[in-house]
Amino acid sequence: MTIHLSIVLFLPLASGLVAALLPGRLARSAVLAGPLAVLAYVIVMLFDYESGGGLQWVTNDEWISELGISYKLGVDGLNLFLIALTAIAWVPCTLVAAFSVVERPRLYFFHLALAETAVLGAFMAQDLALFIVFFDLMLVPFYFLIGGWGSGERVRATTKFVIYTLSGSLLMLAAAIALGVLATPDGGEISFALSDLQQRSIAEGSQHWIVLLFALAFFVKAPLFPLHGWVPETYRSTSIPVLALLSGVLSKVGVYGFLRIVLPVMPDGAQYWQELFIIVAVFSILYGSILAFSQDNVRLVLAYSSIAQLGFIVLGIFLFEEKGAQGALFQMLNHGLVTVPLFLILGVIAIRARGSESLSALGGMAFRAPVLAGLFLVISLATLAMPGSGNFIGEMLILFGAFEDNLVYGLVASVGVVLAAVYMIRLYQGTMHGRVGSAVESIDIDRVNLAAIAPLVAVIVALGVYPNFVIDRTEKDVAKNVAAAKRVTNPEVSVIK
Amino acid sequence: MSATSYGWLVLAFPLAGMLIIALGWRVLPGRLPGWIGTAAIFLSFLASIGALVDLQDHPEDERQLVDRAWTYAASADFSADVAILVDPLSVFMCLVVSGVSFLIHLYSVAYMSGDRGYARYFAYLNFFVFSMLLLVLAANFVILIIGWAFVGAASYLLISYWYRRETAVRAGIKAFVINVIGDVALVVAAFLILDKIPSLDFLTVFEGAGAAFGQNDGMLVAACVLILVGAFAKSAQLPLHTWLPDAMEGPTPVSALIHAATMVTAGVYLIARMHPLFELAPTAADVGAIVGCATLVFAGTVAVVVTDLKRVIAYSTISQIGYMVMGASIAAYGAGLFHLMTHAFFKALLFMGAGSVIGAMAGIQDMDRMGGFRRAMPFTFVTFTIGALALAGFPLTAGFFSKDEIIAFAINRGDLYAVLAIFGYIGAFLTAFYAFRMVFRVFLGEAVPEARELEGGHLAHGDPVNPMTGEPEDTDVGFPGPEHHVAEQAWPMKAAMGPLALLAIVGGVVAIPGVSDILEKFLEPTFEDSRFHDTAPTTGAEVWGLVVGGLISILGIGLAWWVYVRKPGTAARARERFAWLHRFLVNKWYFDELYDAMFVRPVATIGGFSKRVIETEFVQGTIVGGATGVVRVGSTFARAIQTGYLRAYALLLLLGVAALTLYFLLNSS
Amino acid sequence: MDITWYLVLSAFIFAIGAAGVISRRNPLVVLLCLELMLNAGNLALVAFSRMHGSEAGQVFALIVMVIAACEVVVGLGIIVAMYRNRLPIDIDEMSELRG
Repeated sequence: MTIHLSIVLFLPLASGLVAALLPGRLARSAVLAGPLAVLAYVIVMLFDYESGGGLQWVTNDEWISELGISYKLGVDGLNLFLIALTAIAWVPCTLVAAFSVVERPRLYFFHLALAETAVLGAFMAQDLALFIVFFDLMLVPFYFLIGGWGSGERVRATTKFVIYTLSGSLLMLAAAIALGVLATPDGGEISFALSDLQQRSIAEGSQHWIVLLFALAFFVKAPLFPLHGWVPETYRSTSIPVLALLSGVLSKVGVYGFLRIVLPVMPDGAQYWQELFIIVAVFSILYGSILAFSQDNVRLVLAYSSIAQLGFIVLGIFLFEEKGAQGALFQMLNHGLVTVPLFLILGVIAIRARGSESLSALGGMAFRAPVLAGLFLVISLATLAMPGSGNFIGEMLILFGAFEDNLVYGLVASVGVVLAAVYMIRLYQGTMHGRVGSAVESIDIDRVNLAAIAPLVAVIVALGVYPNFVIDRTEKDVAKNVAAAKRVTNPEVSVIK
Repeated sequence: MSATSYGWLVLAFPLAGMLIIALGWRVLPGRLPGWIGTAAIFLSFLASIGALVDLQDHPEDERQLVDRAWTYAASADFSADVAILVDPLSVFMCLVVSGVSFLIHLYSVAYMSGDRGYARYFAYLNFFVFSMLLLVLAANFVILIIGWAFVGAASYLLISYWYRRETAVRAGIKAFVINVIGDVALVVAAFLILDKIPSLDFLTVFEGAGAAFGQNDGMLVAACVLILVGAFAKSAQLPLHTWLPDAMEGPTPVSALIHAATMVTAGVYLIARMHPLFELAPTAADVGAIVGCATLVFAGTVAVVVTDLKRVIAYSTISQIGYMVMGASIAAYGAGLFHLMTHAFFKALLFMGAGSVIGAMAGIQDMDRMGGFRRAMPFTFVTFTIGALALAGFPLTAGFFSKDEIIAFAINRGDLYAVLAIFGYIGAFLTAFYAFRMVFRVFLGEAVPEARELEGGHLAHGDPVNPMTGEPEDTDVGFPGPEHHVAEQAWPMKAAMGPLALLAIVGGVVAIPGVSDILEKFLEPTFEDSRFHDTAPTTGAEVWGLVVGGLISILGIGLAWWVYVRKPGTAARARERFAWLHRFLVNKWYFDELYDAMFVRPVATIGGFSKRVIETEFVQGTIVGGATGVVRVGSTFARAIQTGYLRAYALLLLLGVAALTLYFLLNSS
Repeated sequence: MDITWYLVLSAFIFAIGAAGVISRRNPLVVLLCLELMLNAGNLALVAFSRMHGSEAGQVFALIVMVIAACEVVVGLGIIVAMYRNRLPIDIDEMSELRG
């Protein structure tokens, strides 16, 4: 069965437009149809995918030929599971959003759908300019979603969020244009297609600053210390389903960009910054973990936890070898899979605690909510990378890669693993165990949230039982993308199998 | 059916039990979840026997069988399958674990009856047994670490089983974090080994270790020390022991299962399994032996003074595991594992007896409030005393043969180990003393009100409170149920304690020096590659060791009798005379306070500092403030030009045009 | 044909118109001066057209006249609206578009 990627890409947008025009309850069904259809497509893709077969289901059309920008989409081991993550994550969040009471619901649904298209586009794009178009397009619906449907200090949060991300994006745009121009061989045609850019060589000096600008944009998105200033307010003000997507899926686009664009095209530049970025990543792991268990607001615990987890992922990427990069890619999937249900559960908890999100006021919710407690337990254990979960294998691969590079970095990162146990168990116990909190009304999980969270838990458990499902399909492409950078770091090592 | 198929069945039954109970808890009535759980473990025990029988059918040099199910994760040089290793060591552990677990499940069916979370309890208990079996059957480091972590998670869930109790919740997180430290240590150790030997499978690693690492190679010693850290965290040895006494917050059968018979023995199993590595790194083995010895003395001293019945038994466990760790580290594998088995019997028995007494006391665990139960609870009295005799190493009990064999081995190896042996005897003396301290204080002497009520056939009742803090509670989900059970009135409890009492007496029969060495011969295929294979002590030396040990045990029991029965005020007077020593011991040598000062408080301070200073001032103030500030300043400039005055705009327009015109005019000339 | 003086005249008229636009406050007078500027431009266009002998300049001048007419209509309409709404007929008072 041939799959046309453009259909998969624009299906959510189409369903969003339909939902924006239909009345009330029909709109709800319409907005769910898009993500569900995409999920169905993606499941077919997962089983149809040929491991090691390079880019598949490629769509390659001319778009702006004078500037060398082509409309090129493709799926290979690198983005297969990130597209799957997007598809899997959007369904429960749209479900929860569809059944929650909001003002102007049709516009809300439209923005959610547009966001999915943008994220899918960013993952599928095989042309640098196209990637940047979708990267910046992602910002638009989220700006409205946070600012228009958030709570509390939402306008200030959105402003900070947008300024920060746009500053980074602006720098990235400049870098990308420079890359395209500088990569053009004399007498050749300019092209932004990634496959072309990988073949061409760019002067080392230029690589240094181009990589830095890309990194700034991606570090803001991830986020990593110290560019995470937008995080606390945004996480406090955004509505739950949007926040789940922001933390679970959006954060991955940046780090994916490293693997897809920076490492293969500019290996010398990447190697120049390798040491610094590894230190930033390791520091983020420690900083995020320490702050995570110092927070009273449950959302902020997860916010800083994300900083730590993304630190692990960036660490894995910048080790420039297969195990670390493989672990990082797997962790992108795992982290997204646990973060989305975690935020949905926090939403469930907040409803049962009269809106309170403070750990000191919560507690004992497991009293009459065993199913909720059970699901939350499984997800918490997976988040702290307990062996037996996919997260453990991802982190183990990253740690092993880190130990090979420098034992000290690996040991510091290992401390992060212990700290993760501390903050996740603290979060779980603070909400579910102990005396029933003053504001808490313990009711078990409702059907909508159960339908949203239970399938995610099933996938998490499945990945814990058979993580090789992912590793097998992504191995060759990860190795290929890391190969150039690895050759720069270890010139005497011969080409990998 | 082959041994490995039996091996998979051993794993499958508890897993199935857990799933059935967990998914069907709403529809299973009354005690049915308990019976399902117990049946699952019984089937697992039968499968272990099947594996044993089939394994013995194989010729002696083919008794290490590996079976792979599917590839778990394979990337570059990192490759791990879901695979089990069936060999004498793992089968031995399976038998002990499933056998004792079965009896504890049986006990729990009655003991936990009435608790509102009954089904949850058995689901967790089955999950625990599954994890422990996975740990001992693992064929490579990855599956071992997974089993290791699952056991830690199950332990956490069971310790904080009564989750509305703050003390239980705090104990749970403490146990979990220390366990994670052990997990991480194992991961680092696995890396250090993978670095030199390109495989994570045990058999491959053990074969290649000699070639890849020289004698006492730095990396290997580091890896072995890290493995020890993992073992110490799991087995509650110094300095990672602080979680075990707190873990007594869990229900008593949990303490019996996890903190006596199974989980804490995982560390001993690990050292025994990794013996080829430890023998190549004698420094690490010595570290293990010294720590084991230090632990057994430390725990012994604390057990002499604490008054909570379960905590005495807990410290006793820490102490006895010290013996096993010491045994495994000095290559007395057979002796160490023998003591593991006998200890499982009598320690589980002691906990079960304690549970019965606590039931009679309506939940109170303080020995100061107990006394004279021997008439009210005859069955419990007899079985508890048997357990105490075995613990003390009284001649001809199972504990007698196992503990003293380890010490005999140590003496035989000489030098440092002979010194350790002396401490071993000191520990044995303390053990005998505190074991009978418990017996005399709880069962002899004046009968307390609860005992007299029970003699009348009526079980005492009190308001539900937290036994440690006295906080009032209720009996709904998350707190103990309203019923209390004693062995005399519940046949499942008797049915579980009886066989254990029997085993505590006759269990020594498998390894009487000079008479039978069934255990040693059985374990040989695993340990024949040991360098110390032929350095076992002679029968004569062993018999000597047994005599000395027996004498010490009788002396210890005698002293306890003197202090608590013959001259009842002695303990109180000693407490006054040595008040400072008493305080030091009762506060467990101030380890908790030390860790609090060294780790908990500094980390909390760093957290607070980061939150206040770095987040607020640096990140928000400087960086975010900087970015938004730049934007704001820029836009202020831009706004200054927008005055709103039409004439100003017009002027600017004209000036601009004039300038451009001038520019072009000048350029073209 | 030498068109120098025509251009000088055109420049003069343009300058007078520009000065008026900048310095006068009554919108009617501003419109008047705007017309002056436009017509000065027309003059220059016609002069150049005569010099090159091409009709394009004259055609352009006609178009400019049309556009001037439209623009005056709109401007007068705004002034009438200002008057009707009792707003002061003073362009300095109309500064709502300030930043």
